[in-house]
Amino acid sequence: MRRLVGLALCLGLALPAATPVNAETSIPILVPITGFLSLEGTSQRNGAVLALRNAPAGVTVKYEISDTGVAPEVAVNALERALGRGRVSAVVASMLGTQMLAMLPVALEQKVPLVTVSGTAAITERGNPYVFRFFPGDAVVKAAHVRYAAEELRARKLAVIYQTTAYGQSGRQHIADNARRHGLEIVFEEGIETQVRDMSPVLGKARAANPDVLLLHLHAPSTALVIRQAAATSFSAPIVAGSAMHQPPTAALLEPAELKGVCAETNASPVSGGDPAVDRFLEQYRREFGSEPDGFALGQYDGTMMVLEAMARGAQSPAEITRALHSGIHRGLAMTYKSDGRGNMAHSAQIVCYDGQTRIPRVVKRYDDIAPPSN
Amino acid sequence: MLQVIVNGVALGAAYALLALGFVLILNATGAVNFAQGDLVMAGGLLVVAASMVWPVPAIVLLPLVLGLMALLGLALSLLAYFPLKSQPPVAVFISTIAVGIMLQNTANALFGAEPRAGPPLLTAGLVELGPVTVSRQALAIIAVAALLIVVQHVLFRHTRLGRVLRATAQDREMAEALGIRVNTVIAGTFAFAAAYAGAAGLLLSNTFFVTPSDGSNYILKAYIAVVIGGWGSVVGALCGAMVIALFEVVFPSLPLVLPGLASLPGASWLFSQTMATILLYVVLLAVLVVRPQGLFGETVQRRA
Repeated sequence: MRRLVGLALCLGLALPAATPVNAETSIPILVPITGFLSLEGTSQRNGAVLALRNAPAGVTVKYEISDTGVAPEVAVNALERALGRGRVSAVVASMLGTQMLAMLPVALEQKVPLVTVSGTAAITERGNPYVFRFFPGDAVVKAAHVRYAAEELRARKLAVIYQTTAYGQSGRQHIADNARRHGLEIVFEEGIETQVRDMSPVLGKARAANPDVLLLHLHAPSTALVIRQAAATSFSAPIVAGSAMHQPPTAALLEPAELKGVCAETNASPVSGGDPAVDRFLEQYRREFGSEPDGFALGQYDGTMMVLEAMARGAQSPAEITRALHSGIHRGLAMTYKSDGRGNMAHSAQIVCYDGQTRIPRVVKRYDDIAPPSN
Repeated sequence: MLQVIVNGVALGAAYALLALGFVLILNATGAVNFAQGDLVMAGGLLVVAASMVWPVPAIVLLPLVLGLMALLGLALSLLAYFPLKSQPPVAVFISTIAVGIMLQNTANALFGAEPRAGPPLLTAGLVELGPVTVSRQALAIIAVAALLIVVQHVLFRHTRLGRVLRATAQDREMAEALGIRVNTVIAGTFAFAAAYAGAAGLLLSNTFFVTPSDGSNYILKAYIAVVIGGWGSVVGALCGAMVIALFEVVFPSLPLVLPGLASLPGASWLFSQTMATILLYVVLLAVLVVRPQGLFGETVQRRA
């Protein structure tokens, strides 16, 4: 009996090996679902999952989701594990800049494309041909951010509060560069860590500097904390926040009145509506995940869909998909994507503003084909 | 200036409840409870969930949160302490980390990763105190935290239960020999500590929001408060919590309070939040070197 059981077990274990291993390719989803970037990471995951569920006819791709947390080594380990598991066509890679920077060498070595919505400028500045960013990088969104303050709000003096993470420092640098380009003076700037809870000191100092506009470049919780505390202390200068503000869960933390007059840069605001295709995405997203999508979800949806459409057109290997991403044009839901040769696929940005009545922002300005600075 | 002080004291008072629970477990068991930060998070999310069912001010929900968190504390003791109590303290230290991670992942699964805001303690808005306006929520946090600290003090200093708890903390073997049911006392301490961590979570959840991953940040603060204040000292933990708040809120605001400082070379960096964090850790290191027992002495000899 034992021998029979043993034989059956051996046969059972041997069966999967009898079928062709890696008959199906996969697109692992390696995103931060826990930690300070969990909100954005969850959006990224949902966008990718939705695209994979809507894959073009004839394209069958497996996916597995791994939480990368916030540590670079966790992301690298997740990537190496995923690549070791079978045929990987492309990877949906963390939007956390420090994790992306750590994963880039592995992608280069393994020659597999990383599709991300990370805003950190440096990820496409390393000459790595395997990174594709479907969210406008800092060179694009910070140009729109400062341009809106300069041209629409007629600001001459800026205060800047940024996060001390790689994302924050990258954005701060681009804000400074763009402010110089527009002849604006930065009268106050300070970096804050993600753990800082009480924003009254930094807001007090920003107020004392008497800026025309306060620009924020912070992750979601810090953005909401600054805006709530600014509203509580009747901070008088207009606030133009970073893309974290446009996220519905960030707005949900605040009362509509606290949001009055607050604006934010983003790639897209799916909840603002206005486009039938985006409205269909919105409806499906709400149905599948029971939450509201943001621009990160939409960007990752578009990026993943561009990979899937390349596969539908016959690109199978990572090399073929990489070539397709570099050379193709993809009309996505948020915008039209095209590589600038360095993996920056998104070149448009929007400014959305809240009217103080609802938590749904209105698109007030769109900037298309923002060229990166020549310097 | 008053506004800055009120904000600082409010934050310090909430941290004090967290540190208090940390010290009580440390004294009762000799082990570090690394799930204490995640208990703060659990308390915050509990009040968020309760307010969805009963949309009332958080002060009304406080007894419910204290009660449920006490039960969670009991569960923590049964899961992470009692099965390992005869092992070296590092085993409990690891098991509480494990429970903390379990709490974090459970919260993530139940509530999602996004930050949530709890209801205000009483009402939102500002109150005018002479020439300055301060947040009602901050004042309410100070009042509730002070009340809970006084309750703890009275309970531990002036009741039989308190004497039993203190006897167990000072010498478990002797307490057991005198007929005190040490295990019951320890379980009660876990319940009490968890209830106070939950109260901290409730107090912090409106102004500062709550996310499933907040625990690691809070446990670090509790640890710093206890090291600065004195390993095992309740008064030290309270003072240590205030020192943290001093660096987080008051130090970066100094150029506002003393405008002359703003004209110092490099003032914007010197009085930044980043520098405040660096200086807090400099103070921590200085305490470890100069006065390793902390500002208010030490009652427990071993450190995890």
